Amino acid sequence: MEIFPALLSVITDPVLLFAIVLAAAVGMIVGATPGLTASAAIAMLLPITFYMPPLFALAFLYVIGKSGRYGGSIAAILFNTPGTAASAATQIDGYPLARAGKAGKAMKVATISSVIGDFMGDIMLVVGVGFIAALALRLGPPETFAIYFAAFVVIGSVIGKSVVKGMISALLGILVSMVGLDPITGQERFTFGSFELSNGIGLVPLMIGVFVLGEVFAQLEERSKSTGEVRENTSAPDGHSLTYDEYKPCIPHAIRGGFIGAGIGVLPGLGSAIAAFISYGEGKRRAKNPELWGKGALEGVAAPEAANNAVSGPSMAPLLTLGIPGSTIGAILLGVFLIHGIQVGPTLFLTDRELVYQLFACGMLGIVAYGFIGYFGASQVARIILKVPTSVLYPLIFLTAFVAAYSARGSLFDVTVMTFAGFAGWLMRKFEFNVAAFVISFVLAKGAEETFRQSLLMSDGGILIFVERPIATGFLLLGILAMAARIRAIMRERKVVSGELEDA
Amino acid sequence: MKDVIEGLALLVLSLIAIWGAWQVPQAAPGETWAGLVPFGAALALFGLSLFLVTGGLRSVSHGSGFDDQQTSTTGTREILTLFLIALVYQQSFRWFGYVLPTAIVAPVVLYMFGVRNKVGLTASVFLCPLVFHIIFFELLGVFPPYGEVFDLLDAIRG
Repeated sequence: MEIFPALLSVITDPVLLFAIVLAAAVGMIVGATPGLTASAAIAMLLPITFYMPPLFALAFLYVIGKSGRYGGSIAAILFNTPGTAASAATQIDGYPLARAGKAGKAMKVATISSVIGDFMGDIMLVVGVGFIAALALRLGPPETFAIYFAAFVVIGSVIGKSVVKGMISALLGILVSMVGLDPITGQERFTFGSFELSNGIGLVPLMIGVFVLGEVFAQLEERSKSTGEVRENTSAPDGHSLTYDEYKPCIPHAIRGGFIGAGIGVLPGLGSAIAAFISYGEGKRRAKNPELWGKGALEGVAAPEAANNAVSGPSMAPLLTLGIPGSTIGAILLGVFLIHGIQVGPTLFLTDRELVYQLFACGMLGIVAYGFIGYFGASQVARIILKVPTSVLYPLIFLTAFVAAYSARGSLFDVTVMTFAGFAGWLMRKFEFNVAAFVISFVLAKGAEETFRQSLLMSDGGILIFVERPIATGFLLLGILAMAARIRAIMRERKVVSGELEDA
Repeated sequence: MKDVIEGLALLVLSLIAIWGAWQVPQAAPGETWAGLVPFGAALALFGLSLFLVTGGLRSVSHGSGFDDQQTSTTGTREILTLFLIALVYQQSFRWFGYVLPTAIVAPVVLYMFGVRNKVGLTASVFLCPLVFHIIFFELLGVFPPYGEVFDLLDAIRG
C-alpha cells in the first residue's frame, strides 16, 4: 500500500504536478503528430532531464510515454494517419466514425478507454511488481541470463516481418554495445586503436540518432514521395457529445482490452501494437455487432485503445525488477535511472522503494491529466498540430538532435556517434530491419554478458549450468518456443498469401 | 536481389566483427575471455547473413521476389545530401564552435524541407543559434563547444 503515501507526496508537490501536466500535453502532441513518436520526443528531451532531480526526470519522461501512446489515436481518428503503430488498430473504426461526422464521439471513446486501460495496467503493476521483485531476488546469474536470452529472442523474432532481420538487428545491437572496455577484465574490444571508442558508445547519442535524426531522414524521404496534405475530420453537431448509453457497450471491450494489454505488457518486446490488434480481433470475435466493426463501431475504438495504453504500466515491471526494458521507452528510462546513479533490478525495491512508488503515482496522475486534456481538448490539440508546418518542424528537430546529443556529456564524439546512428537508423527502417530490437538489445547486452560470464565462472566454464537449473532451462525453452511459433506463423501467412495468388 | 546485397553487406560487417573480437587478448587464469560474447555474436551474425544471402539467391533463381522486393530509391539523393550536411555540421562544431555552423546550416535544412520564404530563412540564421544557445548553453548551463579555428561566440563576447 506504498502507493497511497506516494500519491500524497506527489499531489502536494506543485512543481511536480505541473511537470506531469506539461508532460501529458507534450506527449499527446507528439503522439498525435504523424511521424513523431513518443520515443523520439523522450530521446530528444533526455539530455535536459540530466539537470533535473531523478523523480522529476523519470516522471516527466514516463508520462510523455503514456500520453504519447494515447496521442496516436488523435491522428488515427482525425487525420486517418496513425500517430503510432499501435493506433493503426484504432484507425480501423475511428476513421469511418470521423467520416460519418462522429470524430468527437470517437475521440471521447478513445480517451475514456485509454484511461481505463492505462489505470488497469498501472494497478496491476503496483500490485504485482513487488511480488516479481521478491522472486527476482532469488534468481542467480544462470536464471537471469536465461531471461535475457528469452528477451533477446522474443524481441528479435516477434516484432517485425522477418525473424532473420529481427535477429540480425538484435545481434547488431549486442555488437555495438560491446565497443569499449570490457567491464570485467578492462580489455579493449572493437576500439581499433581509437581512444574515444574505448569509452564505448553512449546510450543517449545512440537513441537520439536512431529515433530522432533517423526519423528526420525518413520524413525527408516521405516528403519527396507524398503528394497529398493532411486534413482534420470535423464533427457534426450531434457527433461531438457522448452519452453513457453510447459508451455502455464499450465497457466490456475496454476492460478486456485492459487485461490483454497488461498481460502483453509484461512480456518484453511485444509492445502496444500487438496488444491493440489482439484486443481488436478478440473484441470483434466476441462482439454482438461484428458486422459493424471496421465500418465505424465505437466498440472497435474502445478495444484497441484500452489495450494499447494498458501496456504502459506492466511494461515497467521487467525493467524495474530485472533491469530488462520491455520497450524502447523502457530502454530510454533505463538510461535515465543509470544517469542518476540508480541501479535497476530487484535491489531497486530495497534501495529506492519510495522513488519507484512515487514514479507509479506520477504515472497515475499523468493518466488523469491526459484524460482531462484529451476529453475536453483533443480537437484543439489536432488544430495545433495542423498549424505547425512540418517543413519547419523537422529542420528544428534536426538542429535539436545535434545540440541535445552534445549536451548529454559535453562530448563532440557523441555528436559524431549520433550522426552515424541517425543514418544507420534510417537505413534499418528503409531495409525493414528492426530498430526497436537493435536499441533494446544494445541496452540489454552488457547485463546479459555479465550474467553469462558469471555463470561460466560458477561452473568452471561448463555451459551445462543453464540446462541443469530448471528455471533457466524454462526461460531458454520459452525463447526457443517463441521463435518457433513466430516462424510457424510467418510460414502460414506465406502459404495463405501464395494460395490467394494462385486463386487469383 | 535486395536480400543478397543486404546479406553481403552484413557478411562483410560480421567478418570485421569476427576479426575485431579475435584481437581481444586471451583471458588470464580464472577469468573468462573478454572476446567471448563479441565473438559469439559476430559468428551468429555471420551465420544469419549467410542465410539471408542464400535465401535471396534462391528466390532470384526461382524468379520470385525480384520485382516486388525492390526498395524505392525516391528521396535517397536528398537523404544522402542531408547526411553529408550532418557530417559537416558535427565536424564544424570542432572548428567553429556552435553558433556559426548553426547559423549556416539552419536555413539550408529549412530550404531542403521546402521553406522558400526569404524572411523566414533569413530569420533562421539569427534565431536558431540564438534560441538553442540560450536554452542549452545559458539556461541548462552546458559548456558550449569551443571552435579551434574560429569561434563566433568568442568574437561576439569580445
